[in-house]
Amino acid sequence: MTKKTTDGLHSYIPRLAEQLGQGRVGRRDFLRTAALLGVSSTVAYGLADKIMGTSSAALAQSATPKKGGTLRVSMNVKEISDPAIYDWSEKGNIGRHIVESLTQVGSDNVTRPHLAESWDASDDLKTWTFRLRKGVKWSNGDDFIADDVVFNFERWLDPATGSSNLGRFSSMTVEEGGKKKMAPNAIERVDAHTVRFNLQTADIALPESMGDYPALIVHRNFTKQGGNLAENPVGTSPFALKNFRVGETAVFERREGAYWGGEVYLDGIQYVDHGDDHSAWLAAIASNQVDLLYRLIAQNVPAIKQMPQLQMYETVTGQTGVARMKVDQKPFDDIRVRQAIQACIDHGRLLEIAYQGFGVPGEDHHVSPVHPEYAKIPAMTQDYDKARKLLAEAGHGNGLDLTIDCVAQPAWEPNTCLALAEMLKPAGINLKVNILPGGTYWDRWTTTPFGFTSWTHRPLGVQVLNLAYRSGVAWNESSYANPEFDKLLDDAMGVLDPTKRKEKMVPVQKLLQQDAVIIQPYWRSIFTVANKKVKGFEIQPAEEMHLNKVWLDA
Amino acid sequence: MVIFLAKRVGYMLLTMLVVSILLFLLLEVNGESVAVKVLGPYTSIEQRNIWLENNGYFRPLYVRYFDWLFGIATGDFGQSIRFKAPVSDILWDRLGNTAILGAATYAIMVPVSLTLGVLAGMKEGSALDRTISLTSIGTTSVPEFASAVLLAFIFVFTLGWLPGTSAMSGGFDPVQLILPVLVLFLYGFGYLVRMTRASMAEVMQTPYIRTAILKGLPYRQVILRHALRNALIAPFTVIMLQINWLLSGVIVVEFFFAYKGFGALLLEASLNQDIYMIQACAMVAVFVAVTTQTIADIGYTYLNPRIRLGG
Repeated sequence: MTKKTTDGLHSYIPRLAEQLGQGRVGRRDFLRTAALLGVSSTVAYGLADKIMGTSSAALAQSATPKKGGTLRVSMNVKEISDPAIYDWSEKGNIGRHIVESLTQVGSDNVTRPHLAESWDASDDLKTWTFRLRKGVKWSNGDDFIADDVVFNFERWLDPATGSSNLGRFSSMTVEEGGKKKMAPNAIERVDAHTVRFNLQTADIALPESMGDYPALIVHRNFTKQGGNLAENPVGTSPFALKNFRVGETAVFERREGAYWGGEVYLDGIQYVDHGDDHSAWLAAIASNQVDLLYRLIAQNVPAIKQMPQLQMYETVTGQTGVARMKVDQKPFDDIRVRQAIQACIDHGRLLEIAYQGFGVPGEDHHVSPVHPEYAKIPAMTQDYDKARKLLAEAGHGNGLDLTIDCVAQPAWEPNTCLALAEMLKPAGINLKVNILPGGTYWDRWTTTPFGFTSWTHRPLGVQVLNLAYRSGVAWNESSYANPEFDKLLDDAMGVLDPTKRKEKMVPVQKLLQQDAVIIQPYWRSIFTVANKKVKGFEIQPAEEMHLNKVWLDA
Repeated sequence: MVIFLAKRVGYMLLTMLVVSILLFLLLEVNGESVAVKVLGPYTSIEQRNIWLENNGYFRPLYVRYFDWLFGIATGDFGQSIRFKAPVSDILWDRLGNTAILGAATYAIMVPVSLTLGVLAGMKEGSALDRTISLTSIGTTSVPEFASAVLLAFIFVFTLGWLPGTSAMSGGFDPVQLILPVLVLFLYGFGYLVRMTRASMAEVMQTPYIRTAILKGLPYRQVILRHALRNALIAPFTVIMLQINWLLSGVIVVEFFFAYKGFGALLLEASLNQDIYMIQACAMVAVFVAVTTQTIADIGYTYLNPRIRLGG
């Protein structure tokens, strides 16, 4: 069970501090792991500064925030009725101004307590105790209590809800007749402000998973009161939904009364939907119709640099796209075909052609160098002779005709597919790129034999692996089912020590790479832009809008 | 005249009925895909079947069709999948927005085009005629997406005079209408000018105009009283036809300026396979098309004394 040292910190912290001092873990790793173990960010930053002799003054605000004003943001306004089944970060951004999550992943990719005040884990990482913040009020006047949390988890883990959280919290589930369901006693209400999670397998990413956008906590009576957040927006956040029209606008006003998170500066937030045309987003901010964009696409970066009233924000992320092959469908059920395709790829070249070089090349195992557990393994190299040999062995010596499905926008996705098609030609593979308009790709993203899917950033590498490559989970789009992979992933997810976890990641990454389930061209940087009067804004790697501390310097 | 009107309205209804059958067959035959669209891809077969049962998808096709048709006739277009709201809640607002855009465009385009067209047609081959013809050919041959980009570059990014998008998020703002109207005007007016000019030029060649001039009537009176009415028949048809263009042909402009109109709605509905919304939009578009056609036919008989019905 949980071990505590005399000064109240988790028993692992002193060792972690020692590793930081020796330079064996980075400052980022240190902060993340300390936060994971329930150390407040102030204490963690203080410790890191003390050990490394640095100053975290960057986090301190340079000017006194001013109160007032409405921040106008350009972003698609999508349907938001049920947070449990959100599948777009835009939905999460609207929903987050009403309801909040237990943890929050900051712009520095460090997970911090939010509705949960602190937590600790047993040494085997199978028992997690979360203490909830006291004095948090729902907008209807109720107290935020453990029952709210229990209600949400039980709802997520009920397969009938259709929530992606079923995969995200798979450590709380058991399989019965081929279907996942909540394990008995997985969620335990200890008292009004304490919840304990009893996991089937160790899970280091639990606090991170709780900060993901479908894990927003709704009121315990959500289902009873109609189960529609847009119609009945009861929440704990400092804002109240005043007007909401899908495809048009979402208007928030600051609620009366104190907010648990301290001072909130904005009087209101207005999201405006400018459709899918990125030139409209650009025109909106250029003509001062909005103060902030949800997203700036890479090809518009040069235009922004011409406008002195605007401030651009950039961050390298775990955002990526994967050309994933359905491993149980022809011809991709033959590993030699997949490996042949893989052998044709020059990842760095794809980054240059399709994304102007803003990012880092991928390695076909979906773990990013920005992830703390990323292990450096030998990269794949382009080898057409190998590709031709593999194809001949698989019986496609006379060439192979393939089709890949992808979305039309954003442009980097079809561009990447077109570049990919060119790269496959010398090996005799004729790849047709089937560009699907608007949302239609998302009707077939889990079923098409060959598709290019974008994946958002997640703070830990194991999180995506758990969501997308573990056998049988909802978002396993490639139908990859390898018990050995599942086991190796379990092993890695049970290790708290960043250096040791890296070692455990080597076989995980190697296996996924060798099985050639995905072609992962690159990890991309993301951008956004704000008017210079917007202060206190930071770009978050998963494109989450954290606006509670943003203010306007009018 | 009454028989003529009744026939016209009859044809109109018949056209709409045929279109409604086609639409229904195209979009609704596969109930399963409707259920997937509504409930999401993670739902089980049982859940889908329950939904299909509850929504009457297991009834015979013709029963479902008449049910749907009755709904439309009474203003109930069903529930939008994308907007999670009744289709009619969204549709009428968007249609109203496009009507505003269209009306503003017409208010400028029709007087300007007719005036320029008549001026050009009055003296074929004159310097004025050449200038007007050249300008109108030039603007009409630039597609909307190109002129939208060009105008946005000049007025939004370079001069900073006009707002770049027209989402009207803070309520109706006439300034936001300027760019979309300008783009539509530039594209639409050339065609109308050319038609008016050709028609006017033709009328000016006719013997009765020559007679009017020769018998010493003031030139002004010849144009206004004798030439104009006959010269307006062809442009009138074009004006009526362009109502259809303004309704669904403005997709590009509405998309580019993020204007929340009918064209953008139709695009959004199609991209998201919002079946009831597509059906409703298509029915409305067809209704407008056949109605303007009917009005054009009736208007013809008024303008052209050679077409007289029923005596």
